[in-house]
Amino acid sequence: MTTGTEEWHADPALLSRYLAGNLDAVTGASVEQHVSRCETCRATVGRLLEPQLLERTWAGIRDGVERPTPPYPMRVARRLGLPEPTAVLLASAASLRAAWLVGAFLSLSFATLAAYASDGTALAPFLLAAPLAPVLGVAAAYGPRQDPLEALVATAPYGRTRLILLRTIGVLVSVLPVTVLLGLAVPGPPWLAAAWLGPALALVPVLLALAAFVGPRIAATIVSLAWSGVVLGSTRALAPTWPVEAAQQGVYLGLAVAACAVIAIRAGTDRQPGVAL
Amino acid sequence: MSSTPIVTDAALVAAVADGDAGALRELYERHGAWLHARLIRRCNDPEVVVEVVQDTFVALWKDARRFRHDGEVGAWLWGIAFRRMVSRLRSRRDVVLIPEWDVSPTLQQVMPSAEDQVLLGVEYGDLAAGLRRLSPEFRSVVQAVVLDGLTTKEAGRLLGVRENTVKTRLHRAKAQLRATLTEPQEGWR
Repeated sequence: MTTGTEEWHADPALLSRYLAGNLDAVTGASVEQHVSRCETCRATVGRLLEPQLLERTWAGIRDGVERPTPPYPMRVARRLGLPEPTAVLLASAASLRAAWLVGAFLSLSFATLAAYASDGTALAPFLLAAPLAPVLGVAAAYGPRQDPLEALVATAPYGRTRLILLRTIGVLVSVLPVTVLLGLAVPGPPWLAAAWLGPALALVPVLLALAAFVGPRIAATIVSLAWSGVVLGSTRALAPTWPVEAAQQGVYLGLAVAACAVIAIRAGTDRQPGVAL
Repeated sequence: MSSTPIVTDAALVAAVADGDAGALRELYERHGAWLHARLIRRCNDPEVVVEVVQDTFVALWKDARRFRHDGEVGAWLWGIAFRRMVSRLRSRRDVVLIPEWDVSPTLQQVMPSAEDQVLLGVEYGDLAAGLRRLSPEFRSVVQAVVLDGLTTKEAGRLLGVRENTVKTRLHRAKAQLRATLTEPQEGWR
């Protein structure tokens, strides 16, 4: 500004008219330009404006400043439109943390490498690891040992079945894409890349159904041993792709349906929160 | 009220960058009110104004390091605030208003008092009259680019015209204003 206008200040009456919107655009614009550069007139505007409005805005600023940035999985869940409490519960699952995901990815990568190195004759490592990655992820997603919110979850009026299913979906969404990509890299018949999804998706409800009786840790052990038995047993006499062929897929489907029925009955008969699963 | 601040705005922004919440409060004391006032003139929803000012100061808290110490803090804050308001155009078309340039007769009687003319820079000639003589399209461009400090691209989005149209209109508006200011005026000499 030029020296001539530096000592000039808008009088409170003019500023009041400006705040009330009673100035024409040219005068209003020039008041505005002056106020935005003049400390004295800015202070006058501060005295003329409603204090409640200014305090209300400040309260929001303070909240925004003091609120810590939520962890990454929670921000993703929020962006997908989940309400905040659900996002918190989902994100606290152990198997959605980076360490778990990296571990799952590494073991699957080694299995893929093994299949690749043996030129497709040793599919067992991949068929063993790929369906178990989501199963163990789901098992690790809840339970007293793994869940930092366990005490809260057990006492909250929030359906445990709902929580576990929600986390199961979260785990599947984060684990399956990588596994599918690795499956494409495995040598062998092209349908193999999709075929392992059959046991993978069937074993998850089986795990959940078993966990309702014996807890997630023992259930995960039982399912892992059973699947290992199927895969390793078939390597003796049968074709490497035997565990995922059509007849066997039918068995997995039957198991999954039975397991879903068990879960539904348990959730239906036992409405007490924290007991259903 | 002739107190020169012991701490400058720029020093406060530096303190905010170091995580000083007190400095943020002081900056809000200095700049919160006029930002409200200036935004209210461009918005028909007070809730949006409150949210935009909140966003602006939360952004200041997070991005204080990005302030280049070669400009005014006030102008920088206005830039953040008004851009946030314009970006709300995407979701709500009714929010941003262009100030009404057509003067109602009653207001015109009250307004250009001798005192207020100082604001308009008398020594540069009758700028106010020049601005009033511009067509509405030209005035909205001058408002968005010259007064509110948007880029021509942002102004184009706000006004719903192409960037090149904004540039052309701005160029012509400036030429027209220059012509008004250089032509001999009665009563000013």
